[in-house]
Amino acid sequence: MRLKELIQKVLFIEILKGMALTLSRLFTRPVTRQYPEEKKQALPGFRGLHALARRPDGTARCVGCGLCAAICPSECIHVYTTEGPDHQKIVERYEIEVLRCVYCALCVEACPFQAIALTEHYEYANYSRDDFYMTKEKLLENWDKYMAGKKGEEYFKRFWHPLENDFREYEGQPIFDPERYKRRKGKIRDIRGEWLIYNGNGRRQ
Amino acid sequence: MSNITMRELKEDIRTGLKTKELVLSMGPQHPSTHGVLRLVLELDGETVVKCTPYVGYLHRGTEKLCEHRTYLNALPLSDRLDYIVSMANNVGYVLAVERLFGIEAPPRAKYIRTIVSEMARLSGHLLWIATHALDIGAMTVFLYSFREREWLLDLFEHLCGARLTTSYPRIGGVRNDVTEEFLDSLYEFTEEFPRRIEEYETLIDQNRIWLQRTKGIGVISAEEAINWGLTGPVLRGSGVPYDVRKFAPYDAYPWVDFEVPVGKNGDVYDRYKVRMQEMRQSNRIIKQCIERMPKGPVMAPDAPKFTLPPKEKVMSEMESLIHQFVLITKGPIAAPEGEIYSAIEAPKGELGFYIVSDGTGRPYRLRLRSPSFVHASVLPRLCEGHLVADVIANIGTIDIVLGECDR
Ligand code: SF4
Ligand code: SF4
Repeated sequence: MRLKELIQKVLFIEILKGMALTLSRLFTRPVTRQYPEEKKQALPGFRGLHALARRPDGTARCVGCGLCAAICPSECIHVYTTEGPDHQKIVERYEIEVLRCVYCALCVEACPFQAIALTEHYEYANYSRDDFYMTKEKLLENWDKYMAGKKGEEYFKRFWHPLENDFREYEGQPIFDPERYKRRKGKIRDIRGEWLIYNGNGRRQ
Repeated sequence: MSNITMRELKEDIRTGLKTKELVLSMGPQHPSTHGVLRLVLELDGETVVKCTPYVGYLHRGTEKLCEHRTYLNALPLSDRLDYIVSMANNVGYVLAVERLFGIEAPPRAKYIRTIVSEMARLSGHLLWIATHALDIGAMTVFLYSFREREWLLDLFEHLCGARLTTSYPRIGGVRNDVTEEFLDSLYEFTEEFPRRIEEYETLIDQNRIWLQRTKGIGVISAEEAINWGLTGPVLRGSGVPYDVRKFAPYDAYPWVDFEVPVGKNGDVYDRYKVRMQEMRQSNRIIKQCIERMPKGPVMAPDAPKFTLPPKEKVMSEMESLIHQFVLITKGPIAAPEGEIYSAIEAPKGELGFYIVSDGTGRPYRLRLRSPSFVHASVLPRLCEGHLVADVIANIGTIDIVLGECDR
């Protein structure tokens, strides 16, 4: 035992082993990404910049109930409503101070009308603070830019506490299936086109 | 610093040089203090004579803020305690509130929560080994462990839409169900990960520089560790097999097997060993949870007074809409009066929430027992009498995060 230790000490065995490992890594694909050139696509359901949902006829789905403002932990949503000609509630101003937001998405969870969403857009650096004060118009534009069409519908159905989470419909629920796993092993990242999951060996493609 | 007057200097020259202790302020902007910890060190040459930690630079008043928030609304605050492993804090918080309300999450949700808290432990320990090794001078480990951490963070992103500030568990369950991709990719991770741990160990386990910097440094005996109130890997490194997951099991821990690794000497090296073994055990727990996860609801279906109703019901049923409004504006007003202490085994140690409820929708008082705060208090004991260079090793080994320490 002592002899072995001595040999290890003299020959720098452990250091050589470490060197061999680092050297072997020279021949694998890099895991880093050249960020500004090579952008990372956020996964669906990402909690990024806000957007106000539109109805099919183009108007905002928000009715001004104020639940999102009530639950917001950083109190950065401001909803101002007035009374319309037929005593209906009109959302006069709907504003979010994006710089104070913590992206917890509780507003999305609270809204009973699926009127507010968090988009996959995460690069919002800008030159002035005013650009981060989102008015209703800007928020509706965000919807057109990032969530238009089927994507928006999918978003609410999939991520926000849908019915099958609580009751019934356990049939289609995913559980671990060794057979399926064997088939998919190593190619999980290209299962569903846009649903890319990093597999830890190379870059996300 | 030494303010030597002319007369003293002359005196010194006459009687031979007099030495004085040097006061060195380390931090709050020092990269190896892992945040904004400030240590005031009194040095005699290179030996630390006295070490005084100053904390509070990251104080945000979390406990007070919670008093003005409904139980659901305070959840994002728990993300920001130990921001490296926010999932574990979320789980700890919702568990405390559930125990207060007397509700229980369904089995599937328990499995999911166990998986995510173990993933948080892995990502926390990966960051710990990365920074600890970097502080001591091993750069490669840092790069390798971030590679694995990225995989876990991507899975978090896929699961809940955020990589760090997750806010994923909810009182009574979790926010949304896991997907097939999540399960398969995580399973692949658990198959791959033991090999990756071996890689880190190849790099540092026997490395003579690493051994010299860690063996016999920061020794604390079992008895002393208990007296200081240490928990988590720091306590287990001294050979005390205390783990909340075994002593007061929560979520799915009673249903899976795992071991609690312990050290012997209570030095930096043993704590390193304990954490490495812990990563292997976490990996085992995740694997078992994935294999055994049953089908079923992920939110407690029988607690409409405490959990938000599902979206589709809110949009179609008046009763659920009313629940939604009341829960959000007033909080769970059916909350029972009383107080509760509930603890979980967070990656850093025992994270406890003590909640006093006066029957309104908001906590009357919420007190946090954060492991980092307790561990920061042991720094003088570990550092005094040792070299300045060992201070870095000691800060790394107790693995503090100042967000949690200062709250
Ligand atoms: S994401 Fe959270 S912090 Fe941001 S606006 Fe919505 S509720 Fe407020
Ligand atoms: S976004 Fe939703 S919760 Fe907020 S005011 Fe509009 S309808 Fe109400």
